[in-house]
Formats: sequence, C-alpha cells, structure tokens
Amino acid sequence: MGHHIVPPIPLILFFPLIGAVTIALFGPFVDRRASAFVGTASVFLSFVITVWLAIVVWQLPIDQQAAFAHSRFLGYWVDIPPYLVISFRLLVDPLSIVWMLVVTGVGFLIHLYSVGYMAPDKNYRTFFAYMNLFVVAMLLLVMADNFLWLLVGWAGVGLASYLLIGFYYDRRTAVLAARKALIMNVIGDVGILIAIFLMYAHFGSVAYQTVFASLGRVPAGSLDWIGVWLFVGAVAKSAQLPLQTWLPDAMEGPTPVSALIHAATMVTAGVYLVARAHPIYDRAPVAAEIVAVVGGLTALFAATIGTVQYDIKRVLAYSTMSQIGYMMLAVGIGAYAAGAFHFVTHAFFKALLFMAAGIVIHNLSGEQDIRKMGGLAKRMPFAYWTFLAGTLAIAGIFPFAGFFSKDAILDQALQLHHPWLQAAGTIAAFLTAFYMFRLLYLTFFTGSYRGDHEPHHDSSWTMTWPVAILAVLALIGGWLVLPGRDLMSSALAASFVDARFGQFLGEFNWPLSISTLLLAIAGIVLAYALYQVPSGARDWLRTRFSPVRDLLMNAYYFDVIYHYAFEAPTYALADFFSRYFEGEVVGGIPRAFAGLATWFAGVSGGWEAGYLRRYGLSIVVGVALVLVLYLFLTHAPATLGRP
Amino acid sequence: MPHVPLAGYLALASALFVIGAIGFLVRRNPLTMLMSIELMWNAGNLAFAAFARSFEDMSGQIFVFIVITVAAAEAAIALAIVVMVFRHRADVDVDEISIMRG
Repeated sequence: MGHHIVPPIPLILFFPLIGAVTIALFGPFVDRRASAFVGTASVFLSFVITVWLAIVVWQLPIDQQAAFAHSRFLGYWVDIPPYLVISFRLLVDPLSIVWMLVVTGVGFLIHLYSVGYMAPDKNYRTFFAYMNLFVVAMLLLVMADNFLWLLVGWAGVGLASYLLIGFYYDRRTAVLAARKALIMNVIGDVGILIAIFLMYAHFGSVAYQTVFASLGRVPAGSLDWIGVWLFVGAVAKSAQLPLQTWLPDAMEGPTPVSALIHAATMVTAGVYLVARAHPIYDRAPVAAEIVAVVGGLTALFAATIGTVQYDIKRVLAYSTMSQIGYMMLAVGIGAYAAGAFHFVTHAFFKALLFMAAGIVIHNLSGEQDIRKMGGLAKRMPFAYWTFLAGTLAIAGIFPFAGFFSKDAILDQALQLHHPWLQAAGTIAAFLTAFYMFRLLYLTFFTGSYRGDHEPHHDSSWTMTWPVAILAVLALIGGWLVLPGRDLMSSALAASFVDARFGQFLGEFNWPLSISTLLLAIAGIVLAYALYQVPSGARDWLRTRFSPVRDLLMNAYYFDVIYHYAFEAPTYALADFFSRYFEGEVVGGIPRAFAGLATWFAGVSGGWEAGYLRRYGLSIVVGVALVLVLYLFLTHAPATLGRP
Repeated sequence: MPHVPLAGYLALASALFVIGAIGFLVRRNPLTMLMSIELMWNAGNLAFAAFARSFEDMSGQIFVFIVITVAAAEAAIALAIVVMVFRHRADVDVDEISIMRG
C-alpha cells in the first residue's frame, strides 16, 4: 500500500449494520425522523469510505490493485484443517468496488428519497431498518471472498427483499408476492449451494482464490456443471427465464424498494456472480453459452411483454428484466466489463425511472394504472423531465448513458461472433425504445388525467434532489466509455486480467451504433404514431392481433403454467396428506400411545381408592420387591457363576 | 445366662416386624393398627440394638433413641387424628375413611 492511508474497510459494512440494529432496537423510543436520519446517514458514511477506498485502489498500479484483494481478515467461520477452513475476509478489488460504489451511492440517494416518499407510512422506522439490512447483505455479497459468505449475503438480500415486498402486509397481494419471490429465490439459493458442494468436492475449498487457482485440475465437464448450478442462483436472483415471474409481482413493495432492490442492485447480483466466477465460465464453454443465451432470450422476451402492460411499475419491472438480460448476455459471452458497465448505467437510469414514477404515484395517492393517467407533463413538470431523461437513457439515445453501455454489449456480441444474440439484443433495443415511449406518452401526454384522486404536490427536497442527481448521472454516466478513452475497462482491468477475452470497450463500431440508434428512433416514432397521434391504428392492431396481445398481457402464461405444473399438484398432494396421512398415520401413532397410557392410568388409578390398608400393602410389597431385587443383584451373579 | 447369637435377635426382630405388618394390613381398628406400627418400630429398634452390641458400635443404640422419639411424636399425631375422626364420624373403621382417595 506504500504511503497511502488504508481506509477502514470493515466500517463500510458496519455502518449500515449498526444503523439497522440501532433503528430496530431504539427506533420506537425516539422521533421517527431520527430513524430516517440514522438509516440515511449510515449508508452515506459507507459511501464516503467506499469512495475513499476507490480512490486509493485506483491510484495503484494494476498488478497491485488485485493484490489489494483478500486483505482484510476478520476471523474464521469454520476452522477444521485440513478438511475445511472458511475464513471471513473482506474482498476488495475493482469489480467489488464498482458494485459497492453503486450499492452505497445509489442506495444513499434512494434512502434520501424514501425520507419523503415513506413519510405518510405508519411503519416508517421499520422501513429504514429493513433498507439498512438490505444494504448490509448486499455489501456482504459483493465483499465476500468465498462462495459460502457470498451465499450468506445472497440469502440476506433475499430476506430483505421478502420483507420489503411484503412491507404493506395488510395487502393480500403484497404478502403473496413476497412469498413468491422468496420461493423462487430459494430455488436459486439451492442451486448455489449445490455448486458450492461440487466445488468443495473438486477443490476442497470454497474460497475464490483457492478455487480459481486450481481450476486446471478438473475436466471442463465438471466446471460446466459448477457453472450451470451457480447460474441457477443467478437466474432466480436476476429474474431471468425461466424463474422470472416473481419480479413483476415484487412491484407490490414500496417504490423506493423497487428502485433499490428490484432495479438497481439486488437483481444484478446474478451478473456480479457470473463476473466474479469468470475464471470458471472462461473454462466452461457450455455453461457460459447457457448464460449468454438465457440473457439474450430474457432481454427479448421481457421487452415484448413490456409493450402491452398497463401498470407503470410493471412496465419498468419488465424493462429491468430485459436490461439484466443484456448484462447476462454480456457476461455470458465473456464481455465482463461491458456487463459491469451496463450495470452501472442501468442502476442510474432505472433507479431514476422508478423514483420519477414514484413521484407520480405519490402525487396521485397510489395510482399506478397508466390508462387513468395522461396529460401529467403540465401538472408535474419535474417528474416529466426527469422521467424523460431516464427514458432517453434506457432507449439508448445519444448521448445518454444507455447508448454507450447497450452498444458496448451489442458491439462485443458481434466481435465475439454471436450474431444471433446480437440480433436479439438489437430487436430488444427497438422494443425498449417503443415500450418506454409508449409509457411516457400514456403517462404524461395522451388524453388527460382521469383517476380517482386529485393530484397534489408535496414533493419535498429529499425526494427531488436524488432524482435530479440521478437524471444528471443518466445523462453523463455513459461518458465513462468514450472513443479512445475507456475508463470502465481500465478500472476493471485488474479483475479481468485473466479473462478469456481482452476487456476493452473504447473501440466504437459506428455503423452498428448508428443503426441501433436509428432502430431506437424508429421505436420512438412508432410509439408516437400509435399513442400520441389520434388514429384507429391502435384499435385495429388490438382486434387484429388480439391472441398475441392476450399472450403478452399474461406474460406468455408462465404464471398459469407454473400454477398447473407445480402449484396445483403441490396443493393436491398437501391436501391428500392432510386428509389421510396426517390424521391416520402422523396423528394415529401418538394417539395409540396416548390411549395406552390412558388405559393404564385408568386401571392403576382404580387401585388408589383411599383405603389406608391398601397403601400399607403397597408399601410392604414395594419394600419386599426392592429387597429381593437387591439380594438378587448382589448375590445372584456369584451363584449363577458356579457350575 | 446363656449367650444368644446375633441371628437369634434378628429372627425375633423379623418375627415382630412381620406380626406388626400383618396386624397393620388385616385390622380395621386404627388403634390396633397404631399398635402394630409400634410393634414394627420396636422390631427395628431390636435389630439396631443387637447389631450395636454385636459390632461394639454405639451408633446403633443412638439410632434407637432417635427412633423412640420419632415414634412417640408419630403416635401423638396419629392418636390426635384418630380422636378427631372419631368425634366427627362416631366411627373409626379405616375402610370407611376413604375421602382422601386420589
């Protein structure tokens, strides 16, 4: 480290941890604003230390940036040498720093936004305790230096997600959505656990360093299996096909939760996992191909659904799914820096979109149906302009962030010879521009507001400032990668120095970028023609393609299929067992023993009739029995031993 | 005086104890039952005294004194109960006094 002052790395984790514990323990006894202050300030302090750490690390030469990893040893979790040693170290390398910066930075802005947004809620304090808990778990996930601690963070963010989706616990739909998210995520957790078992069986360790150093010892087939099982976890957490159905339902949670957990950070954990485990995927071509294909398919699949949905947050949820599909595509084909780059820009513009939509929802007292909105641009100019910035960014319009990061992925797909994935991504880019501008027009322009609640304006500075900052970041965030000046790849170089492809994003493929841009503009024009210009085209399309529309409205009937394939049989089986097995077998056996005991009690109880002489006889017989037993035990062995 | 062996004392003590136990079990008059208990106490006392003499150890004799004291206390309490029951019911058949059954 030389002359640099080393930042207190553990504090990055401990500030939000202390925040969550303090709010949980003392929140009920102090002013509610104190809880909000503690919750927000703790994340801010984490962010400050993370920035300090980032500056220190990125000033080092590249070979020392990686050496800076594995440096904070805090203790042993399991210490049974030579069988299993699991230590608790905080890993710091460029990849984890990128994620930490977004988690604490965007996390701080969203906490600040929540101060205003959640103000009317009766469980204000609980909210901040949960949010801090999430930040701790997410930081643990990205700072873990072995797969088991990663899984602890992984399950921790799942728990926080569950608690926050079900935050409005008096709404039945919210509780069901939380349960669904938890079940889907646990499927993923089991996948990672199986991968950990395989790694332990092959390498005798679960630490990144040891596992990655000894990959050459096992055949590629085994690595493929490890990669596939890890990816099962990534699929569940990042809402990729076929475990994607929980994410739209997760929009039942408060909007800041959707912004932080279900858009900016937690759902990208799968991307982080693949990027972190890149030495495995670099040597496991089948697993890597699966990652890329699932990502490409999800990008396209979710984008098509987004074109017909009517709930403002559900449209954004499907777009999140689609954008994470892009990231998965990138890390699957080996373009890790491109995936991380899109993660950063997506965190900016998707958090922005959710928070701008949150202002609209907040001011309409909870209305989320865009069919009832319209003409809001005049009534809420701030929400409109910021939402427009986010929409331009996600649609990939120059010079907004999405243009750079999405084109980086498509360009890499072409360079690394995945024309089909590149085509899927390009079509999805067209659809993205279309459905986002459809959302924008229906919300802010077409017609006029016809909801149940009169719009009001009470956006405090805590709500507007974070949105404004993110709007600026959504504009300039992409400038990290400019032609010939590629900050993103060079920042991440130390983490991907051993990757199977060089990570460099600075070479622009201008024909590709311009054609993608033109496609995005075509999507915008189509949205304009269909939703802004009054014409019969919409009705004609709706009737002409009504089966397609039904298919998309119901998200390809995944929920229905899962209901009949898994849910209904499970309930039927449970019903059968509760009706027959539970009563006759599980209940029957203990009941039989209870009956025996009751019978014996009845028989022996009859003896105790209150007759003094019976008790006397009992004593005499008892003493006699004890005596006989005593004599037998002390003398019989000797007697029996004789021939 | 002819020397009586320890077994003789123990045989007598056993006989006294068995007579007492049988008396307790077969009689229904509480006064007779108390006398039977007294007989069992003293069977024990005789065994204690015989062992003490045989082993030339005084502790057995001290036990006898304690037992006599406890027996006296027991007799006093038991007689008080019998008197109370008699006043209450004008009848002292123990088989009739079964209201304390569990």
